[in-house]
Amino acid sequence: MASLTLDKVRKAFGPVEVLKEINIAIEDGEFLVLVGPSGCGKSTLLNLIAGLEGSSDGEIRIGDRVINDVHPKDRNIAMVFQSYALYPNMTVRKNITFGLEIRGVSAAERDKAVADVAKLLQIEALLDRKPSQLSGGQRQRVAMGRALVRDPDIFLFDEPLSNLDAKLRVDMRTEIKKLHQRLGATIVYVTHDQIEAMTLASRIAVMKDGILQQFDTPQNIYERPNNIFVAGFIGSPSMNFINATLINDNGNLAVSIKRDNAPIILPLKDAPESYQSYVGKDVVFGIRPEGLTHKRTGSDEPGSQYVNFDCKVEVIEPTGADTMTVVEIGGKEIVARVRPDRAPQPGEIMTFSADMSQISLFDPVTELRI
Amino acid sequence: MADIQHYSHDAGWKHTILRGLLYLVLILFAAYYLFPLFVMISTSLKSLDEIREGSLISLPRVITFDAWTYAWNEACVGVECSGIKIYFWNSVKMAVPAVLISTFLGAINGYALTKWRFKGANIVFALLLFGCFIPFQVVLLPMSQVLGSLGLASSTTGLVLVHVVYGLCFTTLFFRNYYVSIPDELVKAATIDGAGFFTIFWRIILPISTPIIVVSVIWQFTQIWNDFLFGASFASGDNAPMTVALNNIVNTTTGVKQYNVDMATALLTGLPTLLVYVLAGKYFVRGLTAGSVKG
Repeated sequence: MASLTLDKVRKAFGPVEVLKEINIAIEDGEFLVLVGPSGCGKSTLLNLIAGLEGSSDGEIRIGDRVINDVHPKDRNIAMVFQSYALYPNMTVRKNITFGLEIRGVSAAERDKAVADVAKLLQIEALLDRKPSQLSGGQRQRVAMGRALVRDPDIFLFDEPLSNLDAKLRVDMRTEIKKLHQRLGATIVYVTHDQIEAMTLASRIAVMKDGILQQFDTPQNIYERPNNIFVAGFIGSPSMNFINATLINDNGNLAVSIKRDNAPIILPLKDAPESYQSYVGKDVVFGIRPEGLTHKRTGSDEPGSQYVNFDCKVEVIEPTGADTMTVVEIGGKEIVARVRPDRAPQPGEIMTFSADMSQISLFDPVTELRI
Repeated sequence: MADIQHYSHDAGWKHTILRGLLYLVLILFAAYYLFPLFVMISTSLKSLDEIREGSLISLPRVITFDAWTYAWNEACVGVECSGIKIYFWNSVKMAVPAVLISTFLGAINGYALTKWRFKGANIVFALLLFGCFIPFQVVLLPMSQVLGSLGLASSTTGLVLVHVVYGLCFTTLFFRNYYVSIPDELVKAATIDGAGFFTIFWRIILPISTPIIVVSVIWQFTQIWNDFLFGASFASGDNAPMTVALNNIVNTTTGVKQYNVDMATALLTGLPTLLVYVLAGKYFVRGLTAGSVKG
C-alpha cells in the first residue's frame, strides 16, 4: 500500500501532446477514478503509472520513490485489463501464479497464495479450467485474482467492467467496492462511465483532451463542477444548461431567462461574491434535473431555496421512480425530475420549483464556473 | 399450412437438382485434376511390357511393385546406380532443419514486429515483405558467392541456409499477421507480471501459435521439398536433393525408357508433401484464414 503522486506529468507522441501537465496526488488507501470520454488520455495516464509507456516530462512517485525510470515489474503494481488479458494457454491457477513464478516464489507459497485469493473471490472451483471455459464474469474475477495475489502497492484497473453485461457490471462494481473496503488498497481505476466513477471513487479526476478538468471528491465534483464540461459529463440525466442573464433585482441578485412573454426571474439568495462582476452580463445557468421539480415549498427540505415558475410540458419520460419531464426554456430542452404522482400530461402548463441552492453559473466564453 | 408445405416440397426438388449439378461440376473438376495422378499410379504398377502393349489409361493387369523397389534401390542417377533413397535422405536433411529454423525465426520476427514495436518496424516489415516478391533467379549469383565465401558451396548446410533466408520473408509475414490479432494487453499483463521478451515468447505467445505454426511448416516444407532451382544450383552430386535426382533419373536413362520407374520415382518424390497435407491440411485452411480479419 502506498500513496501515488503525479507531478506535472506530460506525454507527447511526436508533436501531439496527449497529456498536459497532470497533477494528481492521492493518499494511501484511496480509490482514484480517472474518468472522461474516449480519447481523453485516461488510459495513457494509467499506462504511464504502470510503466507500459514512458512519460515525456514530470515525475511519478509511489510513496516517496520516483518510478519514472523503474521497469513495470519493479514498480510493485498490478493491473486488470479491459480484455482481462488472461493467458489463454494456461489454467486459471497458472494464470494467477504466473507473476509469482516469474519472481521466483516457491511452489508451496504460490499454492497458499492462490488458495487465499481463490477463496476471497470465490473461484476455487475454476482453478483448473482454461480461460476459454469461463464466462465473462468469471474471467473478470480471475483477472482480479491475478492482481490480488501479488499484494501490490497500487492496483490499476483499465475499464475492467466495460465488457460485462449491464446486470453483471453493477454486481461486480459493488464487489470491487467491497474489496477495496476490505483490503484498504490504493486503487487507480479508469472508466468512461460516470456512474462507476461516482459510486467507486474516493476521488475523481475528470479528464478531457489530455487536460485534467477537475480533481476532487465525487460529491464536490457533482455539486461544484469546475466547468460546463464536468457539469455535463457527471450526473445522469445530465445537467441542464440555460442561457441567462445575471441581473440585480431590487438589491437581490437573480437569474433572468428570456421567454416570449415575460422573462423567468429566479432570485438567488446568499449569492457568492464572485457573482458580482457578472451582474448585467450573460451567463450559463446550470441546474440538475433533481433541482427542477414539481411545485414544492421550502418546508419540504431545510436549506433549499425554492423558486416557482410556470412552464408548458413538452414530453414526459417515466422511469418508474421519477418521471423525467421535458420542457422548453430559453430555446433549449430542459429536463425536470418530477414525482410520478405529480407527473403532468404533455401540453399541460405546470408549476415547477427550481432549488436555487443547487445551481451553478458558468461564464459563457471560458465555460468556467463563476 | 398445406400451401407452405407444397412450396417447400417444390423448393426441395429444386434444391436437390441444383445440388446435383454442383456435385457434378465438382466431380468433373476433381476427375480432371486426379487423372494424371491416376495415370502415374497405374503406370508405376505395371511392368514395362504391359506399358508397351496396353494404352495409357488402362488399369494394370498384374500389379507389381518392382518399379517402386527399383526406383528406391537401383535406379541410376548419372553413373551412380543405387536408387533414389540417398537423395530422399538428402532432402530430409535439408528440409527438416530449414523448415524448423525458418519457422522459428519467422515467429520471433513476427512477435517482435507486432508486440515490441520499435522505430522503423513498419519499414523493416515492408522490406521483408518485398523479399517475398524477389524471384529465385535473381538471388542465384549473389547467393552462390556468399555460400562460396562461407565454404558451404555444394553442401546440405548451404542449402539449408539458402532456404532459411529465402523462406524468412514468408514465415515472418505469416506470424506477423497472426500476432497482429492477438491483443497487446496479453504482453502488457505479462510485462507487469515480470516476464521479459523471451519468457513471454516461450511461455505465452508460442503456445497459442499452433495454427500459424502449422501453416508455416506446411508452406515451408512444400516450398523447400519441391524446390529444384536452388537444389540444382547449390548442391551437386551426392548432396543433391530428391527433386534434382528425379530429374537426373528421368533424363539420363539410356536405352529403353522405363516409364514405370519414372512414375514411381516421381510419386516417391511427391509423397512427403502429400503426407503433410493429409495430416495437417485442415489446420492449414484454418490457419490461413485466422488473423486475416484484422490485418
